[in-house]
Amino acid sequence: MSAIWRIAKATFHEALRRRFLNGILIFGILIIGSSWAFTYLQPGAELKMLIDIGLGAIRFFGMLIAIFVGVRLITDEVEKQTIHTLLAKPVTRAQFLLGKFFGGVATVFTNVALMGLAFVTVYMVKAPQLRELTSDQGPAISMEFMASNIIKAIGLTCFELLVLVAIAVVASTIFSWVMASIFSFFIYFVGQMADFLRELASPEHGADTASTIVFGILYRILPHFEIFDIRESILKDNFVPWSLLGNVTGQAIICVVIILMIGYLFFNEREV
Amino acid sequence: MRLGWTSKTIILTIVVALIVGSIPLRERIRYQRLVLGIKRPMPLTKIVDFDPTALSGVMIGAILGGFREVAATMMWAKVHTLWNQEGTWYDCLYVMRSTTLLDPHWIEPWRVTAWHMAYNIYAETDDARQRAILLDKAISALKEGISWNPEETDLFIELAWTYFDKLDDYEQAAKWFRATLHMPHPAHIDRIIAHGYERLPDIPKALDWYDYCLKRDPNDDIARGATLTIRERYLPAWRLLEEGDYDGALSLIDQYLEVNPFGTIALHMRAHILEEAGRLEEAFATWQQAADKFALDDLARRKVAELGTILGKDVAPTATHLLRQASPEQMSPGRVFKEEK
Repeated sequence: MSAIWRIAKATFHEALRRRFLNGILIFGILIIGSSWAFTYLQPGAELKMLIDIGLGAIRFFGMLIAIFVGVRLITDEVEKQTIHTLLAKPVTRAQFLLGKFFGGVATVFTNVALMGLAFVTVYMVKAPQLRELTSDQGPAISMEFMASNIIKAIGLTCFELLVLVAIAVVASTIFSWVMASIFSFFIYFVGQMADFLRELASPEHGADTASTIVFGILYRILPHFEIFDIRESILKDNFVPWSLLGNVTGQAIICVVIILMIGYLFFNEREV
Repeated sequence: MRLGWTSKTIILTIVVALIVGSIPLRERIRYQRLVLGIKRPMPLTKIVDFDPTALSGVMIGAILGGFREVAATMMWAKVHTLWNQEGTWYDCLYVMRSTTLLDPHWIEPWRVTAWHMAYNIYAETDDARQRAILLDKAISALKEGISWNPEETDLFIELAWTYFDKLDDYEQAAKWFRATLHMPHPAHIDRIIAHGYERLPDIPKALDWYDYCLKRDPNDDIARGATLTIRERYLPAWRLLEEGDYDGALSLIDQYLEVNPFGTIALHMRAHILEEAGRLEEAFATWQQAADKFALDDLARRKVAELGTILGKDVAPTATHLLRQASPEQMSPGRVFKEEK
């Protein structure tokens, strides 16, 4: 356990020093910080726009950070050949993989926390003003559950990125970091379309046998990234039940376990 | 130390077991999201319809996932640019369509798209068939918008107003205005319903609605005034019409028209009495008179076209008349935006 902890800690400190990650983070915070300035683009729906841009930016920049951190964790060690030194010590490949994964996750969570803090600050300052502005033009917007739903949405984004880091780390055990990045982006975007795949696999919508099988398998094995998006509830101010959050979190953890086990199988076979 | 085949097999078995075992949880989440209304929109009817614009919109929307609202906003900014250029209005409609698919819960694109079709582009053509298609598309767009946003009063009002103002279909207008009554709505909506029945004319229904307005707000002076006017000017003639005394009813209405020859409702009522009496030639002439007198009386123009067709007269078709005649295949809500330029 201490080996995993030490690798994770070292990975975290190393990742925080990466300039391009800091660049993405700063850009993300700037976009979130200025999200209220874009609200004029949706007259009458300013608050919706603020939430869309804020949470959208957290997810988008979080995704970039997760993928670019994840794909470099193992490939860098292989390219610099420092992996030999590490694996020569009493560190197993499983410990190495887990240590790298947890280090990457800590980095991503820290970045999301900073972006989340920026967004919550903007929300607290601007939302009451925008609500007042909108209520001048039409019925008042309900905001009973909005703040708690925003926190829940940021929490779910963390679990979404947890799955994405696992994919990126595992991809980097198989491919070069460029290929691993492309692969991770591909899985992420296809994962957003899981419902679409389900419909394409449905004979009720005219799918033939081959489509039903292919899309059906893809639907069942790919991670469903859209389940982490609860913005509909935020905008409608519906309470998001804890049971749903529990189920989604459970699903994310199962996904991570599956991905890491597959990654371990590949990493175990890899010549370093 | 490398793993042996046994360990690998065990790991793979666990992986498969986890994938299979998590399927019920996935379905549970899908069900919860659907029930709670969190599930992102997936306009499947548009996929089945094989509408290329809609299909690409759905695909892009699905791929963009969480960023689709921002993409919709960017597309909407593009709409404004295209709208201000000459000759790109129809292209604009396609971009508007994509915007509504990317973010169907954003009300503005539905409203503006329908408004552009029913008013701005409509005014650019004199072709009745083209106008009928535009009106049909505007109505379809608003109905689709309502299907995504059933709690949005604005879309109901917009749809009802389009029926009222552009199609002169006061029954449909009343139906959609009535749908807003259980939501917070402007006070004048109740009166518009009554006014629609006045213009139709259906005097008892108009009085019922003004009565409702007065019950809701006893200080509603407009409703009080309208009730008095209707009772004084039109109700006696309507009672005679109901009794089948067409000549008596016509006599009363004509008395009023002598005093006020520009009374739109009186002219409509006169034409209606003549229609009920089966005197279609005279009804046609009265509708024609109303259409000539009032530039904005599209109801009279539609009636002229309708009666003209029945009487075998050579009259110019109107958009609303064509729209009422069209079969569902010609003007179906599923075919919004698909018509050729």
